[in-house]
Amino acid sequence: MIDRRLLPSLDLNFLGTALVIGAIGCMLVYSATFYSDPTGYPLNTFHKQVLWMGIGIVLMLIFTFIDYHVLFDIAPITYGIGITLLLYLLIWGRATAHVHSWIRIGGFQFQPSEFMKVFTALMLAKFFDSNDRAYLNFRTFVIAMGIIGLPVCLIFLEPDLGTSASFAPLVGVAMFFGGIRWRVWVAMILIALIVLPGLYFFVLKGYQKERVMIFLNPERDPLGSGYQVTQAKIAIGSGGIHGKGFTQGTQAKYGYLPARHTDFIFAVLGEEWGFIGVTILLGLYLFFIVQALTMAKHARDRGGTFLVICLISFFIFHILINISMQIGVLPTTGIPLPLVSYGGSSTMMFFIAVGLMLNVDMRRFVNT
Amino acid sequence: MRVYRDDQKFINLRINIVLWVTVGVFVFLAGSFWFVQGLQAEKYRTLSDANAMRELVIPAKRGLIMDRNGKILADNQPAYALVVDRVILKPLVKGDKTHKDKLFTFVCSVLGTTPAQLQDRWDKAVANAIGMQPITIAEDLTLQQVASIQSQAMGFPELNVNPVQRRNYPYDTLAAHTLGFIGEATEKDLANRKDLKLGDLIGKRGVELMYDDRLRGKDGAQYWEYDSHGRRLGEYRPLRKEPQAGDNIYLTLDFELQRRAEQYFIENEFVGAAVALDPRNGEILALISSPEFNPNVYSKRFTTDTYKTIASNPYKVELNRSIQGLYSPGSVFKTVMATAGLATGKLDPSTTFDCGGSGVFFGRRFRCWEKSGHGVVNVERALKVSCDIFFYNTGARLGVDTISEYAHDLGFGQITQVDLDGEKGGIVPSTKWAEDKQHRKWYPSETISVAIGQGPLIVTPLQVAVMMGAIANGGTVYRPHVLRQIEHTNPDGSVARYRAPAQVLRQTKFSPNVLEHVRNGLWKVVNEEGGTGGNARISGLDISGKTGTVQVIAQSGWFSTAGLPFMERDHAWFASYAKKDDPQMVVVVFVEHAGAHGGTDSAPLAKMLYQARFQDQGTNARLNLSDPEVLEQIKEGKLPQPGVAPKEPAQPANSALGH
Repeated sequence: MIDRRLLPSLDLNFLGTALVIGAIGCMLVYSATFYSDPTGYPLNTFHKQVLWMGIGIVLMLIFTFIDYHVLFDIAPITYGIGITLLLYLLIWGRATAHVHSWIRIGGFQFQPSEFMKVFTALMLAKFFDSNDRAYLNFRTFVIAMGIIGLPVCLIFLEPDLGTSASFAPLVGVAMFFGGIRWRVWVAMILIALIVLPGLYFFVLKGYQKERVMIFLNPERDPLGSGYQVTQAKIAIGSGGIHGKGFTQGTQAKYGYLPARHTDFIFAVLGEEWGFIGVTILLGLYLFFIVQALTMAKHARDRGGTFLVICLISFFIFHILINISMQIGVLPTTGIPLPLVSYGGSSTMMFFIAVGLMLNVDMRRFVNT
Repeated sequence: MRVYRDDQKFINLRINIVLWVTVGVFVFLAGSFWFVQGLQAEKYRTLSDANAMRELVIPAKRGLIMDRNGKILADNQPAYALVVDRVILKPLVKGDKTHKDKLFTFVCSVLGTTPAQLQDRWDKAVANAIGMQPITIAEDLTLQQVASIQSQAMGFPELNVNPVQRRNYPYDTLAAHTLGFIGEATEKDLANRKDLKLGDLIGKRGVELMYDDRLRGKDGAQYWEYDSHGRRLGEYRPLRKEPQAGDNIYLTLDFELQRRAEQYFIENEFVGAAVALDPRNGEILALISSPEFNPNVYSKRFTTDTYKTIASNPYKVELNRSIQGLYSPGSVFKTVMATAGLATGKLDPSTTFDCGGSGVFFGRRFRCWEKSGHGVVNVERALKVSCDIFFYNTGARLGVDTISEYAHDLGFGQITQVDLDGEKGGIVPSTKWAEDKQHRKWYPSETISVAIGQGPLIVTPLQVAVMMGAIANGGTVYRPHVLRQIEHTNPDGSVARYRAPAQVLRQTKFSPNVLEHVRNGLWKVVNEEGGTGGNARISGLDISGKTGTVQVIAQSGWFSTAGLPFMERDHAWFASYAKKDDPQMVVVVFVEHAGAHGGTDSAPLAKMLYQARFQDQGTNARLNLSDPEVLEQIKEGKLPQPGVAPKEPAQPANSALGH
């Protein structure tokens, strides 16, 4: 299965960038949790993150070397398994009144919704591989939206607003790259303007509405839900240019910063490594994105291009949303920072995505 | 090699759009972080420190106050304060609404206070606290109280017993008026002095007040880190500011003289004042005001009850009689009259007046204290026997304005500028004074009263001492002072010493001849048979002085007042110096309502002090603790134990304040 001739085509810059970002993530997780560990036993958070990253790298290599066309072939199966798991969670969760978004296996738990991101991306790329018209018509548009909409609805019902919203980039890719005429864009925007307020008033739950309100006015309740953003801003601002130094951030160390090893890990970076650290990580991410977009341009076929675009759109979306919410540019949602935030499922999912992009890039030449 | 796809253009355009939009957003985010981290870093740094750190004041050690030989008169003693950490209290009250009531019940039972008193103390402490700083609700806990609190530590984690430094005066009442006391800064203090913060203990009276800036030192600060649950984690060392101890102060007071003089007042149950100073430089060797208070009472945050007791005492214990008590100088003033008479030439050494027991001046008959009269007296003899008739005549010749001029020259009618608070200047009457202050004309007959130290003339004992000093040293009026030396320890450990210099206020221009005759007269008062100050005589010391007796109520004839009620008895003065030809010490003793002649009640104390100063060199100097003989004497109680208050000092009945 592994063709030695492919190896020279492996983009080591891209791979290296991902590994450096992952290593920075592990250091930040250590810094955020060494003083008081929120999970602790039997392995501490830092060790677990290193473990996740290790598993992620193995998965990445597997997904690099299995030809993505083979993966396109089995995409409906993997997509089906993902949907089944989500349905199981929903029904079992409702029945036992234990509402969770994860499944427990042995001592570990994983979130099917994270892996569903990859499966959905594969499914969508497979769909566009076979649909080579420049613009979507009504039928193909509905199919594309259906592929995305099914997992989103299931995750939304769990309920996990943040994760379901993180499928939004796929919708953007489908419409922007799948091709939609400008009349449809206008119609969509009009519908969105009508639907979104309706969504806000009738569908969103109390705490979800509260988040939106706090986003609009962060000082509203500094010790309540707005507390997170306030503390994150204090952490970042107090870091200044040079930062307080590795493991020296009082906001992170003493627990003033909520979700300091997951959603708000970027604030730990801001506090301990300062503006210099922030700029370095932003630069690494930008380098990573530029390389991925170049890969998309150079992909051998339409399916490869769409797969890379779908996957990098997840990265771009997560990075921008996560970093924006650190300083209150966008509302707080449970969206992790790719390759950096603590979390088994998301770390593995993002490494798989890196592997798939390497996969497409490696096979950009004909007659492999 | 690469396959050309017909959708390439379409896709590449869109990829480029995504790329540049992403770059734009990244630049915007970098700018936002620059705004927060580059421009507002200081603001957030402060917020971050406020989150995790709380400042705790490390009080500076107040400087010691010592006598001229280094005997400690005021130091600091470890004490225990009860402190409540409100950061810990808050979640406890949230979890259990009755927790604060339980806390109050417990604290009240330990301290023996009422909940209302505790609430009062609590509210004041909260008002004084900066932010959520811990508040002090009790000081000076007994060891028993500390034990009861610590046994309940599990139920009340918000209670802490903190070691603090309490001002301590090891000899209790000794030199209380000079030392003064400390207390919490009032709002007025805070408005006047920017370096103070609420709750600071500052000097309120005496040396503690006058040299507060030097004694107080600079408080330090430590920063404790707290986690988000309010748990104290440890000290954040880099920000620690070490306190800077206050400067030590050596006073000019001589412990031994001070102690003996106070003992004299206490043993005789006298109310009054005494001053001993060095006429060569104005250093005050002893400054007594009796009765005294116990400054240790003030160094606790006393309740209003204690304060009322002290304020309502009929003997006005807080009054520093030596610098604030205003009294008629009586016959002591004859020294000034003799000097003025001789200096103006209205008298000469051979001028005599015939004393027949009384005389008529300006149409009124004035009596001499000696009914039978002194016969023909010159100025030296007039001083010796304190003849009133001689000085009535001198007064009549000089007139009140000349008397006033010379009295001012010698330091009366104005403050002596001693380095103590609340000094009074007294009154030296003149025609101008009568017009300006009394809006009336001066009657010449009043001058006759002033001539023997009566009438509107009032002085402080310290002024009398300064005058005596000028007579003794040849006419130099020194500024009296209690500060001898300030000892400042620099941060590097080196010690800088500032020695208070002698300050000349005025150089009077009497000829040596004038003072020679006055001094001869004063010597005869003590050393010749028939002098009024014979009680102070010590052979070989050549003590010179002048007695004075001040009538408190007008009496038609002279008779003994020993049997009269206390408040109606006469005051007794004795103003003196020694030695005659080498004056080294001035002693002024004033006893209120003594009931006897100045020579009887006041002179013996002066004699005792001269003995201590000139003869008992052994006890006057610093005790040599390596000398077995000295140790033996300390053991037997013949010598005071250094650093320890004398056991149960005899307290006069009228100053039963103290503890």
